[in-house]
Amino acid sequence: MRNSRNGLMAIIFMLVLSLGTAPGAWAQDSQLQRFQNLEGTIDIAGGTAHIPVMKDAAEQIMKANPKIRLTVAGGGSGVGVQKVGEGLVNIGNTGRALTPAEVAKYGLKTFPFAVDGVAVAVNPKNPVGALTSQQVRDIFAGKIKNWQEVGGTSAPIHLFTRDEASGTRETFWKKLLKKGPIDAKANIVASNGAMKMALAQDPQAIGYLGIGFVDQKVKGIKLDGAEPTQENAKNGSYPVTRLLYMNTKGEPQPLVKAFIDYIKGPEGAKIIQKHGFIPTSK
Amino acid sequence: MIKKITYLAQACSWLAVLTTVGMILLFLGFLGVRGFDTINPTLFFGNTPPWGAIIGRLPVWHGIWPACVGTVALVLLSSLLAIPLGLASGIYLAHYASGAWKRWFSLAVEVLAGIPSIVMGLFGFALILSLRKTVAPQANTCLLLSAGCLALLVLPYLILMTQTALEALPDELRQAGLSLGFTPWQNMVHVLLPVAGRGILSGVILAVGRAAEDTAVILLTGVVANSGLPSGILDKYEALPFHIFFLAAEARSDAELAQGFGAALILLILTAALFLGAYYLKSTFTKTWDQKNLSI
Amino acid sequence: MLIQGQASSPRTAETVLQAHWRHLDRRQSGIKGLLLGATILSCGSVLAILGFLSYFALPIFSEGHLAEILSWEWRPFQGKFGILPMAVGSLSLAVTAMGVAYPLGLGICGFAHGLGPRCLKGPLMGLINFMTSIPTVIYGFVSVIFLVPLVRGAFPESTGYSWLTAALTLSLMILPTIVLLVHAQLQQVDARVRLASAALGFSPAQTLLWVMRPLAFRGLWAAAVLGFSRALGDTIIALMVAGNAPQVPNSLLDSIRTLTSHIALVVATDSTSQAYQSIFASGLILFGVSIAVNLTLRRLQSRAALPATGRHD
Repeated sequence: MRNSRNGLMAIIFMLVLSLGTAPGAWAQDSQLQRFQNLEGTIDIAGGTAHIPVMKDAAEQIMKANPKIRLTVAGGGSGVGVQKVGEGLVNIGNTGRALTPAEVAKYGLKTFPFAVDGVAVAVNPKNPVGALTSQQVRDIFAGKIKNWQEVGGTSAPIHLFTRDEASGTRETFWKKLLKKGPIDAKANIVASNGAMKMALAQDPQAIGYLGIGFVDQKVKGIKLDGAEPTQENAKNGSYPVTRLLYMNTKGEPQPLVKAFIDYIKGPEGAKIIQKHGFIPTSK
Repeated sequence: MIKKITYLAQACSWLAVLTTVGMILLFLGFLGVRGFDTINPTLFFGNTPPWGAIIGRLPVWHGIWPACVGTVALVLLSSLLAIPLGLASGIYLAHYASGAWKRWFSLAVEVLAGIPSIVMGLFGFALILSLRKTVAPQANTCLLLSAGCLALLVLPYLILMTQTALEALPDELRQAGLSLGFTPWQNMVHVLLPVAGRGILSGVILAVGRAAEDTAVILLTGVVANSGLPSGILDKYEALPFHIFFLAAEARSDAELAQGFGAALILLILTAALFLGAYYLKSTFTKTWDQKNLSI
Repeated sequence: MLIQGQASSPRTAETVLQAHWRHLDRRQSGIKGLLLGATILSCGSVLAILGFLSYFALPIFSEGHLAEILSWEWRPFQGKFGILPMAVGSLSLAVTAMGVAYPLGLGICGFAHGLGPRCLKGPLMGLINFMTSIPTVIYGFVSVIFLVPLVRGAFPESTGYSWLTAALTLSLMILPTIVLLVHAQLQQVDARVRLASAALGFSPAQTLLWVMRPLAFRGLWAAAVLGFSRALGDTIIALMVAGNAPQVPNSLLDSIRTLTSHIALVVATDSTSQAYQSIFASGLILFGVSIAVNLTLRRLQSRAALPATGRHD
């Protein structure tokens, strides 16, 4: 009896809450105020390291102002460039700097907002915790095929890499592999999130992903003695780093501008930090 | 010798049946066990109050509600496009077309039925790119485009089911109507379509199921991981099959993976319900016409 | 015309009727035109799809990239855009999936038509029918969570995302297609020969093996062709569990990429690069296979249908 009354109260409470929430009622936050008189849609696609930050920001903004709609899709940095360049989305994210050719071809404007390192990572069950750059190169070239050769238990190495549209792959390939070969046998996953899930499930796997994605489910590998943390990425002692960018075609529209300002502002910085990246504003 | 082969064949057939049934039960059982507990309001609405979410007043995060609504919208829109076209074409092929033209049309329908869904999606993507370069620079991948491509995907099913249902009717029925002075079209509307209705309807339902489950087409034509409720037919949207596809690769926590199981179970329940409806209608249609055939 | 005719001549019953018929005729042809329009639209979409794919694949020929696209290496950063590994991947996956599904399908059909107990036929065919409604993405999802770790556990050299995993999963998906086609053919044959062979003293199992099997031969081929084309056209299962490495596989445990998943993976790269052209080439190949399959099926069906229609005429 008592329980059912409580349940009823809860339902009534929820009804009141849901009906009583007028648009904008939550927009007390000074950072979110910039969206108050705006409406429309922002389509975002591209870099997959960005997705957690974008989703979180979208949630805050849409809760504050339901007239604004944000859609978030992945695809990889290449997709980000192509889609924003063709005008298919408003913001194309990349996990690498735009090439001069891309800027010239589409007239893109770029907004870096966070520092991210690219970590080589394995399953937490794997006893191997440190590798040299040369070992990583040999592993990805397919020359080292067994964990025993780098001090682990005897088990075949499972290679995971990203698709060609990935900025993470490009950073890793240029700065760590020095444009060396990646074995064609390597499994291909389509995003940082997918890489993390693959590594988290497979004790023999090795791959690479944004440091922001490294948590207790995957183990970042110490590279030539440098721990893959964002602090080390920021101060330069971890070498494989990149910035995360938002890109627009030409000058951004007011709504898109407000979004970029929000991400680059103090509220955005909190969100960026929450997801394991270091905001450039700091 | 013959007896031995017969026994061997029997043993093999048992093996095949047991393997298949075992695998299917394993698959569905796994899904059912892992998915059952996840089905509750939180699966749909996350931390948003359900009522506010249902009336569309509050955006839903961490729930599959926007994906469900997206799938329903997608299915409705593609049905709206495909059903009139499919029925009209099916009627034409069953009762008006003849000779070489009929053969060519049928071939086209069969080819359409055989086109892989990813190619249909690629077509939609190419269509948008060329539209943007020519007449409509603002055109974009969206709900309407996906629905259009899905409509093409299910169109051949509709045509074939309509045609088959009409052609399955006894010729006497058609002649009886005509001899009473009905025009062919009156005969179609007042006599043939009503009796073929169940057969056609089952085709429609199967087509709807096919549109609800397809992932490859929407992958290329406008589905996104996060958008909230679909706001218009020219906007991007979420959909259940894509949500499942996305979570299979990208679940960032066990909770998200559990949501994947929940979403998969919901989609399965949806398609199974559609299938059972179609199966029932089809079996009653066949039964009716078997009996009538005997009495004529 | 009609109204003038009515005004100038006396209204006999005959002219009224004629006018009425002509009016109906005109409506008939209007309706017929509308239906024809719908049919042309439906069937024309095939040409539209072919046209778009060809148009976007055209630069391959005009810029002379054909030899590069039809080569054995996919390394876009080194300027190598070969899709032949994916074509081999598609073919290998479809063939192996058929290798698993086809015998199973035949076994099931045999079971339903005399080899198994009659009382189990209904539930079995019900289950097979139900399988047609299971969404592909669900097969993929369960396979990722359930089958992939299983394969990885059994074969340490494999990541679990492999040709084998994809083939097993895909075989479940195409199984109902095969069973339902063979079943339909057997039912047709069954109706013709059941009484005769029972009168000759054959058991149901013997009837199936020695009388119906040879007669249903075209249906067996049709099921093989259609099952194969279904396997070749699948995207989602291959994309989710085959591993997607662009290589010619050496073993069942290798990671492979199909033409269909290649399209899905590459669709949004830079629109002028050859990577982009390669997906339209892939699309055209898949389209071509689909046409070839249909023409084959037509030949099979028209030959299979001959005795049946002959009987009616």
